[in-house]
Amino acid sequence: MATLEGLRTAIIDGAAEKAVAHVAEALEEGVDASTILSGTLIPAMAEVGRRFEKGEFFVPEMLVAARAMKEALRLLKPRLAAAAVEPAGRVALGTVRGDLHDIGKNLVSMMLEGAGFEVLDLGVDVPPERFADAVRGGVGIIGMSALLTTTMPMMKTTIEHLAQMGLRGAVRVMVGGAPVTEAFARSIGADLYASDASAAARGALSLVAREG
Amino acid sequence: MTPGCRHANLEPEAATLERIAALRAGAESMSARDRVMAAVAQQEPDRVPVDLWVAREVRQRLTEYFGCDYDSLLDMLGVDFRVVQGPRYAGPEIEAHPDGTVGDVWGVRRQTVSYGEGASRGTYLEVAHSPLATMTTVREIEQYDGWPSPDWWDCSHIADECRRHAGKCVVYAGDRLDRTAQLKTAMYLRGVEQIMLDLVLNPAIVECIVAHITSYFLDLNRRVFQAAADAFDIFMMGDDFGMQTGLLVSPQKWERFFEPGFRQYIDLAHAHGLKVMHHTCGAVEPLIPRFIDAGLDILQSLQPRAAGMDLAVLKKRYGSHLCLQGSIDIQQTMPYGRPEDVRHEVRERMRVGKPGGGFIICTAHNLQADVPTENIVALLEAYHEFAPYETR
Repeated sequence: MATLEGLRTAIIDGAAEKAVAHVAEALEEGVDASTILSGTLIPAMAEVGRRFEKGEFFVPEMLVAARAMKEALRLLKPRLAAAAVEPAGRVALGTVRGDLHDIGKNLVSMMLEGAGFEVLDLGVDVPPERFADAVRGGVGIIGMSALLTTTMPMMKTTIEHLAQMGLRGAVRVMVGGAPVTEAFARSIGADLYASDASAAARGALSLVAREG
Repeated sequence: MTPGCRHANLEPEAATLERIAALRAGAESMSARDRVMAAVAQQEPDRVPVDLWVAREVRQRLTEYFGCDYDSLLDMLGVDFRVVQGPRYAGPEIEAHPDGTVGDVWGVRRQTVSYGEGASRGTYLEVAHSPLATMTTVREIEQYDGWPSPDWWDCSHIADECRRHAGKCVVYAGDRLDRTAQLKTAMYLRGVEQIMLDLVLNPAIVECIVAHITSYFLDLNRRVFQAAADAFDIFMMGDDFGMQTGLLVSPQKWERFFEPGFRQYIDLAHAHGLKVMHHTCGAVEPLIPRFIDAGLDILQSLQPRAAGMDLAVLKKRYGSHLCLQGSIDIQQTMPYGRPEDVRHEVRERMRVGKPGGGFIICTAHNLQADVPTENIVALLEAYHEFAPYETR
C-alpha cells in the first residue's frame, strides 16, 4: 500500500511531517492503528536500528528517525488505547546515580518505543529507590545506563536494592553504556547486556518473549 | 647501589621510585623534549615517551602516596610532558547562580555531580544549562548576548609558565572544559541531542554556531601563540568524534561541518612552528585519514575497547603518517584489572607501538578515581620497563 510504504520511507528518512501526514492518510483509508504500528512503524524503526548497527546511520540520522516515529505515534496513541492494544512491555529507563550522560539512554528509549514498548523515562542520576518505585508501579523491565566506569558499580547497588526490597523476581534488568560489557552484566546479575540502542530493543523483545 | 638490595628496606612507594630511576638511568640519553620530538618525527628515540593523564582526585592521591608535589613527582616518574593551562581569565565576572550552577565564558552552566563511594569517590562538572538550546533561528543565535571575546584572556604570563619546564615537552591545552574544539563546544551550547538533530534538520544553525566557536578559538589561539609559541612545543585540542561502537556523525557530515575548522586550527598552530595533538575518545578509525590530510601530528586516546581502534591495525595503517598517543585501557584494565594485567597490556602496546618511533604511551583518558593505586604503580613501572628501544 503506497501510503504505508510512504510512511516507512518517511520514518527512515526522519521526515516527521510527512510521517504524520501518511499516518493520518492511512487512518482515513481505514487502516487500523495497530496495523500501522506493528506493520509499518515498528519494522521501519527496526530498519533504522539495523542501519545504525551496520554503521550506515549515525546518531543524527537515528535521532531524526526516532523523532518522526514519535510524532507518528502521537497520532496513533489515543486509537491504540481505545482499541485496548497492549504495548510489547513496560520499561523504566534511567542513567544510574552519579551519571548524567543520557544520549545513549535516550536513544535506547526511542528504539524501545519504536519496538512497541511503553517507556517510563526516569531521566538521569536515578537512585536505586526510584528504580524500585518503578517496579512497584508495574514495569516489567528496567534499563540502566552508565557512561563512566566510576558510576558502573551503581548498577550492582541498584540490583542489590531491588533484591533487598523483594522486587528482583518481579523485573528483568538490562544494562548498557560505553564501559559496560557482557561479562560485567553477568557479574552483577543483570538479565541482559546491550551494546547499543538497537541491540537493547531486540534484547528487550527477547526478554518479553521469554516471559511468554 | 644495587636496587634489589635496597628495596627490602624501603617503603613500597620509595622502592617504586627507585626501580623507575634505575630503569630510566639505563635507558635515557635524551631530554624529554627531544625524545618526544623524535617520536613525532617518526624516529626511534632512546625510549618511548611517557605521558600521564589523571583526574584531580588521582593527582591528589598520587602526591599523598609518593609524598611529594606533583611537578617533582612527574620528574621522578619520567613523564615527558608538562601541560600548561594557558591564558588567565580576565573578563567579566563569571556568574554563580542561586541553583548552585556556575557559568563559563560561553554562558553554559554546570553543576557539580558526585559519584562513587569511599576511596573512589569523586566529583565532575556536568552541563546543567545550554544557553542556545531553545533557539530556533540563525538570527537568534547570531544575537545571543553570551558569545565570548578573546579579549577576556590575559596571555602575558604563559611564556614564563612554559619556561618553568625547561627540557620537557610543553603542551598548551587550555582547560578541560574549554579546550579548542567545535562539536564539543556546540554540544555544551546547544545540548547534545539538539545539535545532533540540527546536523540533519538545521544545518544553517550548526554552521552559525561552529563559525562563532572556530572564530573565537582561532583568535584566542593566535594571541596565545603570538605571546608564547616559542616557549611550548605542542598545541593540544580535544573534541570527541567517536562513541564506543562507531562515529557520532558520519564522515560526510564531519567533512562538511567540522573538517574546515579542524584544518584551520592545525594550520594556525603550524604557522607558529607548533606540533598539534588532538584528543578524541571513541571509535574514530574512519576519520583518521581525514585527520592526516588536515595535517594532524599526534592522535591521542586510541581507546582500545572502542570498535576498530586496535593499536596494531592503527599502527600498520597510519603509524607512518601521524604519531599515536595513548592506547592503555581505562574502561577495564586500569580500574578492574590486576597489576599483572596492567603490565601485560603495557608490554603488548609497546611491542606493537614502538617500531620506527611515532608512538607515545599514555592511558586513553584520565586515570579516574576508581583506579587502584597499585595499578597506577604497575602502570608506571611497566612503562619504564618496556619503554627502552633496543641497543642504540
